[in-house]
Amino acid sequence: MADIKTKDFSKASAVSILDPQLRRALRQVGTGFDAARRAAIDEVSPKLWDEWREEARRIKIHSLDHLDYYLDLLEQNVTKAGGHVHFAKDAAQANDIMAELVRTRNIKIATKSKSMVSEELSLNPALEAQGVDVYETDLGEYIIQLAEETPFHLVAPALHKTKEQVAQLFTDKLGIPYNDDINALAAAARLALREKFLQADLGISGANFLVAETGTLVIITNEGNGRLSTSAPRIHVGITGMEKVIPSLQDLAVFLRLLPRSATGQRITSYVSMITGPRRADDEDGPEEFHLIIVDNGRSKMLADPDLREALYCIRCGACLNICPVYQKVGGHAYGWVYPGPIGAIVTPSLVGLKEAQDLPQASSLCGACREVCPVNINIPRMLLHLRQKSAESPDPSERSAGLVPNLLAEGYTRVMRSPALLSASHKLGRWQQNVWAAMPFFPFSKKGGMIRKASLPLLSRWTRMRDLPELPKETFRDIWKKDLKEGP
Amino acid sequence: MDRPLGVPKAEFLDSVRRALDRKPAAPDPAYPRLLDDVSALQVEAKRIRARLIETRPALLDRFAEVAEAGGWNVHRTSDPENAMAHIQSVADSLGVKNAVRSDQEVFAQILVDAPLESTGISVTTVSHSPDRSRESLRSSIIAADIGLTGADYAVAETGSVIIMPRKGLSRLVSVVPPVHLALVRPEDLVESLDDLFLLRRLEYHDKGGEMGSYLNFITGPSRTADIEQTLVVGVHGPKEVHLVLLG
Ligand code: SF4
Repeated sequence: MADIKTKDFSKASAVSILDPQLRRALRQVGTGFDAARRAAIDEVSPKLWDEWREEARRIKIHSLDHLDYYLDLLEQNVTKAGGHVHFAKDAAQANDIMAELVRTRNIKIATKSKSMVSEELSLNPALEAQGVDVYETDLGEYIIQLAEETPFHLVAPALHKTKEQVAQLFTDKLGIPYNDDINALAAAARLALREKFLQADLGISGANFLVAETGTLVIITNEGNGRLSTSAPRIHVGITGMEKVIPSLQDLAVFLRLLPRSATGQRITSYVSMITGPRRADDEDGPEEFHLIIVDNGRSKMLADPDLREALYCIRCGACLNICPVYQKVGGHAYGWVYPGPIGAIVTPSLVGLKEAQDLPQASSLCGACREVCPVNINIPRMLLHLRQKSAESPDPSERSAGLVPNLLAEGYTRVMRSPALLSASHKLGRWQQNVWAAMPFFPFSKKGGMIRKASLPLLSRWTRMRDLPELPKETFRDIWKKDLKEGP
Repeated sequence: MDRPLGVPKAEFLDSVRRALDRKPAAPDPAYPRLLDDVSALQVEAKRIRARLIETRPALLDRFAEVAEAGGWNVHRTSDPENAMAHIQSVADSLGVKNAVRSDQEVFAQILVDAPLESTGISVTTVSHSPDRSRESLRSSIIAADIGLTGADYAVAETGSVIIMPRKGLSRLVSVVPPVHLALVRPEDLVESLDDLFLLRRLEYHDKGGEMGSYLNFITGPSRTADIEQTLVVGVHGPKEVHLVLLG
């Protein structure tokens, strides 16, 4: 599996928050992707949009509730079309299957179109260990492969790089003269990768959808690399998570409407490719062999948990990232693994374990914007809360996000809030404390506009260092109520 | 080597069933969109086709508009000579030397070979035979400046041209050359994605479950916004795409 750096979430976000270039790149997410998404929805009418979302959700609920049945049907139909289906329970097994395929077929060069699952599995190193040269061919993926990084965004993996950085990278890695014109950079990638497509023995793709009825793998792309990877080499291997299956060809229509609009605001992407088995005897071109690797890698755990199953409805459009106030500040890498943003904060702890990623579900203000934009209407905030609860109640301390002190404070807070007498006593204590501090020559905080700033309060300092607190008022609402309001005007 | 690798299917499906706490069983009630009663699909298909014929003029307008918005350079004409003149002018403006085309019905209607060849352009029809190997055809495609195809369907809702590669219709002709030109006939047109997928389902079940190896939607040129969210046209696929709408 891909390296897991989820434990560093708070450290990594503190670093990215201070990076001015990331700030700029992330600001564009709202003005670019999200504005395009909103315009695309306005064009179809919000009412129709909601009908589509409900339809998509119904399809996903049905598919996942009967996943065993549809995987079986899919396997039968891929096989009938002349393809091969392999099932992998985890990352190691998926990589072994791939290794076996490249070994027995003497594969030297592979081109790959975008696949988040292959990032999750760390497929490239596994292939390289077999002596295969693997080329990422989606422009964004190609850039991060050259830079040896992980995707920053589900849809735009190299979103965090400036054109100057890409130009320097191409100069260093491809040995071409520096040119930071974006068109020239795309042309350079085209030139470098065109010969690889034509030399490759193996094309690897992910899948956006798998149609059980016909045994069809569907990929949705804009660049044409997906078409080339699945058409030019002599073998095509699709590798994907088991949750991608939908029952019928007719179910595809609604997803083709929702996904491009949610991802980039397009009515449809430049290409939608539907692949059913290898080329037929009479076809002009296309791979001689077609393999499909279906991966579990922790997904059955999510399936088994009724509170998390919904996360498997995700179609990876990235809309929840683009709208998320946390993602917009910390960016994709802080999330520490392959899937960033609100949906990543659910998928990652579910797949790698809460022990590794207990901080991710905390990284949300629970504002609910993610759910509002989600084309499958996934209730992300509910699942974040569920994971927080799981973490807080876990008997295993390493799964808990907060340490002893914050837990005690939360416990105390609950008691005080439940008792009017304690609440009123604590207000008095707080005001008294505030007055004592205010009378001291050196305040442990500064006051401005009714706010207490940069307080370094004992026990609370990790919270208060970054956040301003309102000053306690002279009178509480209860005091005012008693004195002035109770009698009425 | 045809043996499946990894875990056996039965074991994998068992673990999924355990997660779902389910016994092996088909969905009950049956999923409506999976009913493969060919005669029921035929009734539905007939209704769709009648509607398409009735609304054709409006549909053609809509398709042209949406396709143009999607990045196609649309040229509309119902006159074969005018269509050919347009193809010629596209080829001339690009300085085309080598063209490849598919072997589809529409090229019996619009005869492109002789006129293009008379202006010094070599035209290869990509259809393998005992004396035309797939390898040599592939080299012609790689050397081509333009690829010409027809359409199996065209979708007004999305402005897409649908091609279903098979004998005579290469996958690579519409993606490897830097320019793609597609000829669309009025009868290729469907209104929506729903129309398309219903008709495809009928064909699939009618043919005893043969889908064909590939189906491709093409909507405008190849593009990316992967660097600084700035749109670039023409990455791995064609930079320029033309659509001749014959109606
Ligand atoms: S959770 Fe919803 S909004 Fe987020 S990536 Fe998945 S489908 Fe898109």
